[in-house]
Amino acid sequence: MLRQFGLKKSPWVVHFNCNSCNGCDIELLACLSPLYDLERFGIIHVGNPKHADVLLVTGSVNHRNARVLKNVYDQMPEPKAVVAVGVCASTGGIFRECYNVLGGIEEVVPVDVFVPGCPARPEAVIDGIVKAAEKLDLRRRGQPVSRPSLVPETHEPSPKPAAPPETVPATPASPAAPVAAPAELAKTP
Amino acid sequence: MSTRMTLGLAAVVLAPIVGGLIRGLDRVLTARLQGRQGPPLLQPFFDIIKLFQKEPVVVNRTQVFYAYLHLALIALATFMLATGGDALMLLFILAFSTLALVIGAMSVRSPFSRIGAQREIVMMVAYEPILILMVIGFYLANGSFRLQSVYEASRPMLLSLPLVFIAYLSVVMIKFQKSPFDLATSHHAHQEIVKGVTLEFAGPYLGMIELAHCYEAAFFLGLAGLFWATNAWMAALLAAGVFAVTLLLDNLCARLTTHWMFRFMWTVVFGLALTNIIWLYWR
Amino acid sequence: MSSIVSSEAILLLLLIAGPMIFGAAAWGVRTESARRGVVLAAVGCVVASGLALALRGPFVLAGARWLEPLGGILEAALVGVFFALGVCRRMWLVAAAAGVQAGLLVWEHFGADPASSVAPPFIVDPLSLLLVLIITLVGSVILLHGIGYMGRHAEHAPPTAAQNGRFFLVLIGFLGLMNGLVLADSLRWFAVFWEGTTLCSYFLIGHDGTEEAKASARRALTLNALGGAMLSLGMVWDHRQGGTGLISNLIANPASTPLVFLLTAAFVKSAQMPFQSWLLGAMVAPTPVSALLHSSTMVKAGSYLVLRLAPAFASTPLALVIALAGAFTFAATSAMAISQSNAKKVLAYSTIANLGLIVACSGINTPLAYAAALVVLVYHAISKALLFLCVGTIEQQIGSRHIDAMGGIFFKLPLTTTIAALGMISMMAPPFGMLVGKWMAIVSAGQTPLVLVLLVIGSALTIFFWGKWLGRIVTTAYHEKYHLEKIPRTMSAALVVLGAMVLVAGAGVMTVYRAWLRPLAISTLSHVYLQPDSLGLLQSVDSFMGWPIMVTLLVVVLAGLASFFGLRRTQVRLPYLCGENVVVGTRTFEFRSVMDQRTTAQVTSYYFTHLFGEETMTRWANLVALLILLSLFARVSLA
Repeated sequence: MLRQFGLKKSPWVVHFNCNSCNGCDIELLACLSPLYDLERFGIIHVGNPKHADVLLVTGSVNHRNARVLKNVYDQMPEPKAVVAVGVCASTGGIFRECYNVLGGIEEVVPVDVFVPGCPARPEAVIDGIVKAAEKLDLRRRGQPVSRPSLVPETHEPSPKPAAPPETVPATPASPAAPVAAPAELAKTP
Repeated sequence: MSTRMTLGLAAVVLAPIVGGLIRGLDRVLTARLQGRQGPPLLQPFFDIIKLFQKEPVVVNRTQVFYAYLHLALIALATFMLATGGDALMLLFILAFSTLALVIGAMSVRSPFSRIGAQREIVMMVAYEPILILMVIGFYLANGSFRLQSVYEASRPMLLSLPLVFIAYLSVVMIKFQKSPFDLATSHHAHQEIVKGVTLEFAGPYLGMIELAHCYEAAFFLGLAGLFWATNAWMAALLAAGVFAVTLLLDNLCARLTTHWMFRFMWTVVFGLALTNIIWLYWR
Repeated sequence: MSSIVSSEAILLLLLIAGPMIFGAAAWGVRTESARRGVVLAAVGCVVASGLALALRGPFVLAGARWLEPLGGILEAALVGVFFALGVCRRMWLVAAAAGVQAGLLVWEHFGADPASSVAPPFIVDPLSLLLVLIITLVGSVILLHGIGYMGRHAEHAPPTAAQNGRFFLVLIGFLGLMNGLVLADSLRWFAVFWEGTTLCSYFLIGHDGTEEAKASARRALTLNALGGAMLSLGMVWDHRQGGTGLISNLIANPASTPLVFLLTAAFVKSAQMPFQSWLLGAMVAPTPVSALLHSSTMVKAGSYLVLRLAPAFASTPLALVIALAGAFTFAATSAMAISQSNAKKVLAYSTIANLGLIVACSGINTPLAYAAALVVLVYHAISKALLFLCVGTIEQQIGSRHIDAMGGIFFKLPLTTTIAALGMISMMAPPFGMLVGKWMAIVSAGQTPLVLVLLVIGSALTIFFWGKWLGRIVTTAYHEKYHLEKIPRTMSAALVVLGAMVLVAGAGVMTVYRAWLRPLAISTLSHVYLQPDSLGLLQSVDSFMGWPIMVTLLVVVLAGLASFFGLRRTQVRLPYLCGENVVVGTRTFEFRSVMDQRTTAQVTSYYFTHLFGEETMTRWANLVALLILLSLFARVSLA
C-alpha cells in the first residue's frame, strides 16, 4: 500500500555532464530555480550516484568519458533509470561525426527516456524525469519496461531523430511558454 | 508493562513519524522562503519508503553494522528521553550513535566520506561539552541527573538556564546540519564534499540513516521542549521556536569552516553555557 | 592457627618472590624454547597465585621483626645502585637524588627511636586485592604476548638490544615487585618495591640500546629518582612527626606534610603533569613493556598510592588541589593526544589522561567519585593493555606505528584489528567500563565546578582522537573472504583472552561495581561527612540499568550479521571517485587524474596542530600544572 509512494514520488537525480556545451546544463539548473522548482515532485538533485535513482546525462559520449559514464551508472543501486537530455546525449547531435565522439549515450548505458531539444527545455527535462520515475516503479514491480530506441537512418548526421513513443515532445522554443508551463506540470504527476 | 515502558515504546514508534513531519515542514518552509512551491509535506516518508525499496549497495560489507548501530542507538536515546532516564548516559548513547555513523563513513575507502567523517567528529567535539553542561545545568537546578526530575520540576528550566538554552540552539543547528554548520554532510539539495558521511551508504542503509535523522529531529526538539516541561503547550511552543530559528538561520547564513565552527563553539557558546552554570552555583 | 598463618605467608611469598624466581630462571636458561617454557610456567603460576589470593579473601599478615632491617638494607642497596648508575652514566640528578636518599636513610637510622619500630605487616584488603588481580591477570596475559613478541622483536631489533633473557628477568620479576608494592603496609617496604619498579622501568625502556632508548631511559630514571627522593622525604618526615612508618597508621592519623611529599612521588610515578615527559619517552620500549609497566600496572602504582591515601586527605584543603591537578592533567593530555600521529604516543597521552581522571576522582572525595576512580583503574588496565598489545602486533606486521599508515589493516590483520577496535570502543562507548567510570566521575563532580569543567572538556576531546583512529583501522575495501593473520600463537591467544576479558568485564561492569567497588568506596570514605546530595547521586547511579544498551547492541549485531551474509557480490560497488576509479585489486583510493595518470587520493587525519600542538601546549600546560602542584605545598600550611 505504502510502497507505491516510494520510487514514483521521490526520484533523486544525479547529473552527469558528458561532453556538453553547457547549454543543457544551464537549462537543468533552471529546473532547480523557483520558477520550475524540481522539488515539487520530490526530485532532489544529488551529487553522487550512490544516492540517485535517475541518471541525467547531457552531451555526447566520447572515448575519454565513456568509461566514466559507465562507472557512474554502475555505481547506482537498482532500480535505476537514465534520461538523455538534449540531442547530443540522445544521438551525438552536431558532434556526432567528430573523430573522438562515440555518439549518443546509448552507446554506453541503456537509456529510458530521451529528452530532445538543443538545449532541452526545463519543462521537458522535468517531464522526462517524471516519466523515468514511473518506469522505476514499474521496474520495482517487476513489470516489463520497454526502452525507447532511436534508430539512426544512415551514417549521415541526422539533425532530428524520429521521436519514439516514449519521447517527450519538444516544446516549441518560444520565449512566452515557460511561464504557463510549470503550472500545468504541477498538476500532472 | 509499566506506564514508563509504554511511554518509552510509544516514543520509539512515534518519534520517527513526528520527526518526519518536522523534516517535511522544514523542506516546505525552506522552499517557501526561497520563493518555491516545495515538496509535499510527507516527502521525507516518500524518500524513506523509496530508499528501502532500493537495492542494498555497499562498498564493503562491514558498513551494514554501523548503519544499524546508528539507528538503534538513536532509538534507544529516544526511549531514554521518554522514560526519563539518566541524562548524562543519554548523551553518551547519543554520542555513540553519531560515532557509529562516523566510523561507518570512515570504514570505506572513500576520500569524500572520510573528510565528512572527520568534520563530523570535529562537530561532535564542538557540541558535546555544551550538551554536558546543559545536563549539569539540569542537575544544578533539580538536584538530580535523571530526566524524570526535569519532568517533575515545578519551575521551568528556561528560567534557570536561559544562556544554556541559547547555547543549545547552536547545538541543534549543528545536529540538524543547518547552515552555517552544514559541514559534514548536507540535507536535501545542498552539496558539500559530495555528501560527506552519508556518501557511501545507499539504498536501505541510507534509509536507516534518514530514519535516524527523523529520530534526531524529534529528539532534539523534544529536548528543547524540556526547557519548559511544566506546561505541554509552552514546551511545544519552545520547540517550535527552536525549529523556526534554525530554519531562519539556515536560509540566512553561509557555510562556515570547520575551524571557525570549533573555535566559535569552544569560546562563545561554551562561554555562554559556562556563565549560566557559574551563575547557578553562586545563586 | 600457625598452619593457616604460614599458608598465607606462603601465598604472599609466591606472589612476591615467585615471579622473581621465574624471572631468574628465564634469564638462566640457555635456549629460546626453554625460556618459552619458563615464561609459560610463570604465567600459570602468577595467575594461580593471584586467583588463590582472591579466593582466600582479605587478611592481615603480621611480619617478623627482622623484616624491617632487611627492608632498610634492601633500600640502601637500591639507593646505592641508583647512585652508581647516576655517577657511571653521568646522570647527576639521579646521583644527587640518591645522595639525598642515602643521607635521609642514615639520618633516620641514627635519629629514630628504636622503640617505635614495628614489624612490617602485609595487608590484603579489597583495594590491594583488586590491584593484585589486575597485576596477575592482566600482567600474565601480557607476558604470554611477550613470548611471541620478543621472539620476533629479536629478529629486527637493533644490534645494540639487550638479550631476551635479561628482558624476561626484569619483566617477570617486576610482577613480584608490583605485588609487593600493593600488599606492603610498611612505608619502608613500600619504598623498596617502589624503587625496584623504577629500576625495572629503566632497564626495560633502555632495552633496545639505541640513542633514543638510552635517552628516554635516562629521563625516566631521573624523574622517578626524584620521585623516590620525595617518597623518602615523606617517610622520614612521618617518622620525625612520630609516625610508625605504616601506611595504615598514616591514614588513621594524617599529617599533611608527609602526605604532600608522598602525593608528589605518586604524581611522578603516574606521570601526572608536569612530570609526563618520562612516560612519553618510555614508548620506545618494546610493546609488552609499554603494556605492562607504562599503562596497566606500574604507573597505576602512583594512582594506587593516591587512592590509598584518599581517606587521609579527604575533607582537607589538599583534596581540592589534588582533584584539580588530576582534572587538569586529564583535560590537557586529552587535548595533546589529538595532535599525535604516533599510535603509541596517543596511547601514552590517553594513559596519562586516565591516570589524571583517577587522581581527580580521589580528590573529589565522595564515595561515588572514589568508586568511579576504581572503575577507571580496573577497566583502563584491561582496555589499555589490550590496545598496547594490538598496536605492538600491528607494528610488527606493518612496520609502522603511524596512525595514518594503519588504513587497510583490517584485511591484513582481521583478528588484531577487530580486537583493537573492540578495545577502542571499550575506551569510549557505553556500556563498557571506561565510559561508566567517566560518567560516574562527571556525576560526582557536580559539587566542584572547576574540576567538572575540566572533566567535561577532557571527555569531549577524548572522542576526537579515538574516533579518528578507530575509523582509520576499520577502513577496508570489499573482500570475499578474510583470512586470519599468521602471528605467533601466544600473541593471538593473549589478544583473544584480553578481548574476552574486555567483553565480559564490560558487560558486568555494574555487577562488579555493586558487588565490590561500591562497598569498598563507601567503607574507605566512611568517616567523611556525606552531603545528602552526593548520597542521592550514589543511589541514582546504583539504579542505572545496563540491559537496554545490551539488548540494543545484541539486536544490532544479529541484524547486522544477517545483512552481512545476505549481501551478494553484485551488490558491492566501488566507492565514488567521480567515476574515475582505477579498477585494480583493492586499492580503491586510486583514480585516474590528468593524462590518465594513476593517482592515489590521500586523506590524512585531522590533527589540529595549530590548536593542540604538543610543543606549545606542553609549555603552558606544564606551567599551570606546576602552579597547581606548588599550591599543593602551599596548602599544607592551611591543612
